[in-house]
Amino acid sequence: MIVLICALVAASVLFYIFYLPGKLHLGVEKTRVAYLRERQEAVYENLRDLNFEYKAGKLPDADYQSLKSSLEEEAATVLAEIARLEKTGAGHPLRSDKGARI
Amino acid sequence: MSQIGSFALLLALVLSAYSFVAGLVAVTRKGPGAERLGETARRAGIATFAMVFLAALVLVIAAFQDDFSIAYIFHHSNRDLPGAYKFATLWSGQEGSLLFWSLLLATYGLVLRLRYKTDSRLFAHASVIIAAVQVFFLLLLNFAAHPFAVMQGLPQDGNGLNPLLQYPEMVIHPPMLYLGYVGFTVPFAFALAALIMRYPGEKWIQITRRWSMVTWGFLTCGVFLGAHWAYSVLGWGGYWGWDPVENASLMPWLTGTAFLHSVMMQEKRGMLKTWNMWLIFATFLLSIFGTFLTRSGVVSSVHAFAQSSIGDWFVGFLAVTFAVCLFFYVKNRPHLRSEHKLESLVSRESSFLFNNLLLLVACFTVLWGTLFPVLSEAVQGSKVTVGPPFFNRVNVPVALLLLLLTAVGPLLAWRKTSIESLKRNFLWPALGAIAIGAALIVVGIRPWKDMTYLYSLMTIMLSALVGFTVISEFIRGGRVIKGHTGQSLFASMVQLAHRNTRRYGGYIVHFGVIVIMIGFAGAAFNQDKEQEMGYGDKMSLGAYTLVCRSYTQEDKPNYSSEWAIIDVFKGGKQIDTLYPERRFYKASQQMATMVANRSTFKEDLYLVYEGLNQDTGRPILKVHLNPLVMWIWVGVWIMIAGTVVALIPNAVPVRVTAPARIQAAPVGAGD
Repeated sequence: MIVLICALVAASVLFYIFYLPGKLHLGVEKTRVAYLRERQEAVYENLRDLNFEYKAGKLPDADYQSLKSSLEEEAATVLAEIARLEKTGAGHPLRSDKGARI
Repeated sequence: MSQIGSFALLLALVLSAYSFVAGLVAVTRKGPGAERLGETARRAGIATFAMVFLAALVLVIAAFQDDFSIAYIFHHSNRDLPGAYKFATLWSGQEGSLLFWSLLLATYGLVLRLRYKTDSRLFAHASVIIAAVQVFFLLLLNFAAHPFAVMQGLPQDGNGLNPLLQYPEMVIHPPMLYLGYVGFTVPFAFALAALIMRYPGEKWIQITRRWSMVTWGFLTCGVFLGAHWAYSVLGWGGYWGWDPVENASLMPWLTGTAFLHSVMMQEKRGMLKTWNMWLIFATFLLSIFGTFLTRSGVVSSVHAFAQSSIGDWFVGFLAVTFAVCLFFYVKNRPHLRSEHKLESLVSRESSFLFNNLLLLVACFTVLWGTLFPVLSEAVQGSKVTVGPPFFNRVNVPVALLLLLLTAVGPLLAWRKTSIESLKRNFLWPALGAIAIGAALIVVGIRPWKDMTYLYSLMTIMLSALVGFTVISEFIRGGRVIKGHTGQSLFASMVQLAHRNTRRYGGYIVHFGVIVIMIGFAGAAFNQDKEQEMGYGDKMSLGAYTLVCRSYTQEDKPNYSSEWAIIDVFKGGKQIDTLYPERRFYKASQQMATMVANRSTFKEDLYLVYEGLNQDTGRPILKVHLNPLVMWIWVGVWIMIAGTVVALIPNAVPVRVTAPARIQAAPVGAGD
């Protein structure tokens, strides 16, 4: 009886693992543009933080202007690269051999 | 029954080995064939969960059926054991707790493998790493600590569960601790996967962050449940004794806490990538190291329940894991270059950096003190144990500095903070903290008389500083929202927290930390007294007078006990009756203390039944008066509440005017 139960369990497991549908749904691979958009969102979030802290009275004017300016420059750089990649159609999926710092 | 369990474990090992090998091949190849192979690896990982679950289920059923033909059930259960503790048998011994470890890992792996569409390549790499860790634990279970080993002959009854474990919290403390220990495998797997595949961007950090927070929350619960158990069961009047097993749970908690802070620098500024990578590696390695410490018998501990010779397996696994981490770090190090440099020492970044350094100093101190007996034996040939004074000497000042940073950090801006900004944000909280310090001196704390009083006063003052800064953060942010929406200030603060749950959830966690620290500060004023108490005998401690009304003995199926009935008076009026008890568990032939504790926000009146005086036949009681202990447990609940808030997704930000030089962005109040 125990042998039969074990054999049934093993057969079910093997069936589940190796009986695959004809077409797999594995999700979309990310492009470099997608990664840059994540970076863009991070910079925007930093700007939102900064604006809110300024509104809350935590930052003097001079500090706020200086920090805002540097964040805007960072955002502009990222946006420029996104625009360039979208123009040239170079936003291909990134494999491990092409992974790069952003 | 045992054959089904053994079969399930063996099949789980084969499946996890397949998941590892096939997954490894799939992530290193390209094309549809590799994708199909990867899918079989993913499914094998899922099936591993089913098999480990089956094995654990068989063991629990065997405990409830009193199947003493299984050696593990014989050694850790008995017929009269209450049902809840029979369930807890699963993690009460070496083999069962390793099975439980493996089950939790398989469960985390299941969740990860079901969510693979989030980022299929990253998840495929992480799945391979989790499968590798799973293979290690299943190898242990199949070949070194088999939970389904059978007995020679069929015993009538089992040896019973260790009495120290027969306590309601013990049913949930180990699962919480293990959920924390095991859970750090997931961030580790993602971090190593990101390093191996040179994952661009910080998305892996965002995916990992939630896992890390959940895991950290479980570990926090586990650590403090352990402290509460030690306080309630061990009967020595304290909650933390710097025992190696306690230290083992604290070390990954410290590095995990450091990671949760420094990870913000990577997300926001692209900094500290190498640091974060090694922090999460260290946290995982320390989790494994903690598991090794509690079961290898390397160090003596009051509650290292499961000692055996599996230490070598753990040492080998730790060495291989470290070597793999180091290899890929050296290979892909350029990928981890920071995108920005530290601009000023007075900035949010530097506060996180100092916070991390202090947490690591604390972790190293705990590690050094824990391993000192082993190191001293290796160098001098004799075991030298370091006690609480060593740990406290380093960690109390470190904790005070951490409290200071907890107050300062949130008020500093990213990149740099001007003196004017510092003045603007710190003046009132600092004045408030000084006022509280002065008030405490007026009511009788004399910091110049004893170092512990000084530490206590500083702890309370710094906690007040943190509390005021947290409150000021909520009020400032709430006012901005109030200005936009016209809601009440309280409703605005709730909305504020909902719009940036991570930040404000974090502040609630900080608030919980200061409540705990105030609880710790109370230990400087602990008092205790021991006395023989016959019928009608009195004892006074602090404002309390205790009168022994009676003492007696009782016999139950699982244990026999001796206990006293103590009436508690305060100001001449009876306020309570307490029943300190001592039990003798029949199956295991061991004694256990049942502490009677009257706990209030001000203090705990903690009674321990020490036993009968053999000459007089009267009970000896030890009474502790421990101020502010309840604050610790309340603080833990606040920390858990904060962690839950931090895990709630943010409300959608409101669109308002965007910065002029870039395209319109949602600029939500509260972010």
